[in-house]
Amino acid sequence: MNKKISKLILGFSALTLLLVGSATAKVDGDIVTLGAAVSLTGKYSTNGKHTKNGYDLAVKRINENGGFKVKGKTYKIAVKYYDDESTPARAAQLAERLIKQDGIQFMLGPYSSGLTKAMAPVTENYKIPMIEANGASRSLFTKGYKYLFAILTSADQYLAGAVDLLAEKAKEEGRSLKTLKVAVAVENDPFSLDVRLGAVEKVNKYKMKLVLDEKLPKSLDDMAAILTKVRALKPDLLIVSGHAKGAATAARQIDQFRVYVPMVAMTHCDSAQIEQKYPVGAENILCAAQWHKKLTYSDDDNLFGDGNDYVDIFTREYGYSPPYQSAESSTAIQVYVDAFKRAGSFNPQKVRNAIAKTKLQSFYGNVKFNQYGQNIAKPMVLLQVINSEYNVVAPTKWASTPLIYPRPK
Amino acid sequence: MRDFTKNDIRLFIALCSLGLVAPILFPAYINQLSFAWIFVVIALSWDMQGGHMGYNSFGNIVFFGVGMYAAASFQILPFFSLGDWTEAGGVQTFEHSVSQYFSGYALGILFAAIAAVATAFIFGNLILKMRGHYFAICTLALGVAIGEVFASIEILGAGQGLSLAVWPRGFLDDTYRRLFFYYQGFLLFVLCFLSISYIIRTRFGMTLNAIRDGEDKAESMGLNTNFYKISSWILSAFFIGLCGALVGHLVGFIDPIDVAFSGATYGIWMIIMAIIGGKGRLWGPVIGALFFHAFNEIFWTYFLGWQRVALGLIIVIIVVFFPEGILGFFQVRKKSSVSALSTQPQQQKK
Repeated sequence: MNKKISKLILGFSALTLLLVGSATAKVDGDIVTLGAAVSLTGKYSTNGKHTKNGYDLAVKRINENGGFKVKGKTYKIAVKYYDDESTPARAAQLAERLIKQDGIQFMLGPYSSGLTKAMAPVTENYKIPMIEANGASRSLFTKGYKYLFAILTSADQYLAGAVDLLAEKAKEEGRSLKTLKVAVAVENDPFSLDVRLGAVEKVNKYKMKLVLDEKLPKSLDDMAAILTKVRALKPDLLIVSGHAKGAATAARQIDQFRVYVPMVAMTHCDSAQIEQKYPVGAENILCAAQWHKKLTYSDDDNLFGDGNDYVDIFTREYGYSPPYQSAESSTAIQVYVDAFKRAGSFNPQKVRNAIAKTKLQSFYGNVKFNQYGQNIAKPMVLLQVINSEYNVVAPTKWASTPLIYPRPK
Repeated sequence: MRDFTKNDIRLFIALCSLGLVAPILFPAYINQLSFAWIFVVIALSWDMQGGHMGYNSFGNIVFFGVGMYAAASFQILPFFSLGDWTEAGGVQTFEHSVSQYFSGYALGILFAAIAAVATAFIFGNLILKMRGHYFAICTLALGVAIGEVFASIEILGAGQGLSLAVWPRGFLDDTYRRLFFYYQGFLLFVLCFLSISYIIRTRFGMTLNAIRDGEDKAESMGLNTNFYKISSWILSAFFIGLCGALVGHLVGFIDPIDVAFSGATYGIWMIIMAIIGGKGRLWGPVIGALFFHAFNEIFWTYFLGWQRVALGLIIVIIVVFFPEGILGFFQVRKKSSVSALSTQPQQQKK
């Protein structure tokens, strides 16, 4: 009997070791393999898919254009994916696995701040550069990481602009800022808490009143209790942040419960496609975005062209209009290619140093990192849903349409 | 009371030898191997109540999370302000020196054990008087509730989570870091296995079986069942708490719901592993955990995006066709077995 068990145990161990795949090199012949763990299942699966599509599109485009040259030799790109199931514990394990077992020396980020927080210590330990496009929490940049580079603006700046906008409008109307009431409802996760932090700092700066400061329920599928309070408190601005699911719930229930707030600002509207799914509730909602197709940036490397070109190419490939999560993910690949070319090598340390010195413009915006690995060359924009279309309303430099305020009842 | 058979000893020695040399043979897999031992320990510990005592607890994840938070925070506390460390949007960076890291580490491990044991003592007194489904549902709710509580404690980072101290910069090569954690996981397995295999052979273990087979009868024979139930839960908490501490360090970042009090992953896995292997049997959880971990890893590689479906199917197949678990299946086929593998229900009843 025990022999059987010994055999079983040995069998399993052998099976694992054989089947989990053997280590391969990251630069094999003319293929450079980047590693990524993205959320294909779990609560972030929608945005995980947008992230993956963004990476894939850039890779496809680069390879179709014949690859890129490093020291006269042409290389192509591939990405090795795993599914992190939207859980940080898994993300950290997969980062280890990509580096130790799959021999990956260049990492791409996962989706969300929490998962990036879990992967960053691993890449840091192994001194493997990671360019991430979807982890915006400020706390990512206070750990002294040297190998983490984020091409997006940090989370605290997402909706701070909405508070500015409210202050601006109130001044125009001659209202005292002290009379303005702001309600905040966010998910209890690293990203959304940072969004809240940035907004609340602004509220305090203008001495507005924070009349509601609540956490969305963990499942993010019902915020009726919060909206009931909002109805009673009559705030001038309602801020909601809870990734795609939170945005969808808010847009749906604001309409369902007929809650009226003159200004509503959210994150992740476009990745939740609220303008299509809940056109009534979504109308005139303000959305924070890292990028919009109407911004006048274009690729230094001519990979896609400008924002509109990117939207066309993406839509042709995947059948839907790209949210900014895809755009920034595509640019992460562009930044890598640019760094490979400048480093003239695939040595992780050299590539890391090249990334640190990045200075490029893509269709998505400018990329330039500060010493903490944060992209400081690109502002956030605020979009407003007008007739089920996103229009840039702030900052003024790029505003294509005047803000509709207050939202019509 | 049954002795440890020669075969058991041989098997254990074989497994230990394998455990000792595995990281040298498969250096790229140290991390996965560490998790393998941890999985074995949490499955074995869960089986103390779930299998031997017949109390299906869905709440042992509480000890896991409490241990994880205790280990992380007591490593930080003596040297830095925990409030500053976890402050949302804080701008300070903190680095442990080598001595700070390891003294804090030891303190953290100590407190992980203490906190988990204390939690088991408190909640054991409160809820172990319940039986059957009531107990199971209560522990399920306990796991969820404690997770939510931790997700709102500001000083522990609340929903922002808590990043653990990073391995001191420039101290020893990374391989040593991984070996450091690996051998702790391995040691934990040895300790846990030996304790449990000893305990289930004593009067204490017999009492646990008696509670499973008929608690009222056990009580009417004058056994203080409450004492035994709480003691076994405490023992289980001790090991699971330490596993939590280790997993915290291996993952490096604690999210209150998704890592520490993750009922949907570790919480339910510890039960599944025990069931797959065969609960109430010493080797059952060991085999179940190794099987589960192996298949988990394989599915992640080959069924991208479908790994949970594949794993779910395997579990369904095992539950339907091998209700007694893998080990139970072999034992039923070979009824003659008199090995010590079986503190098996049927044999106990004789």
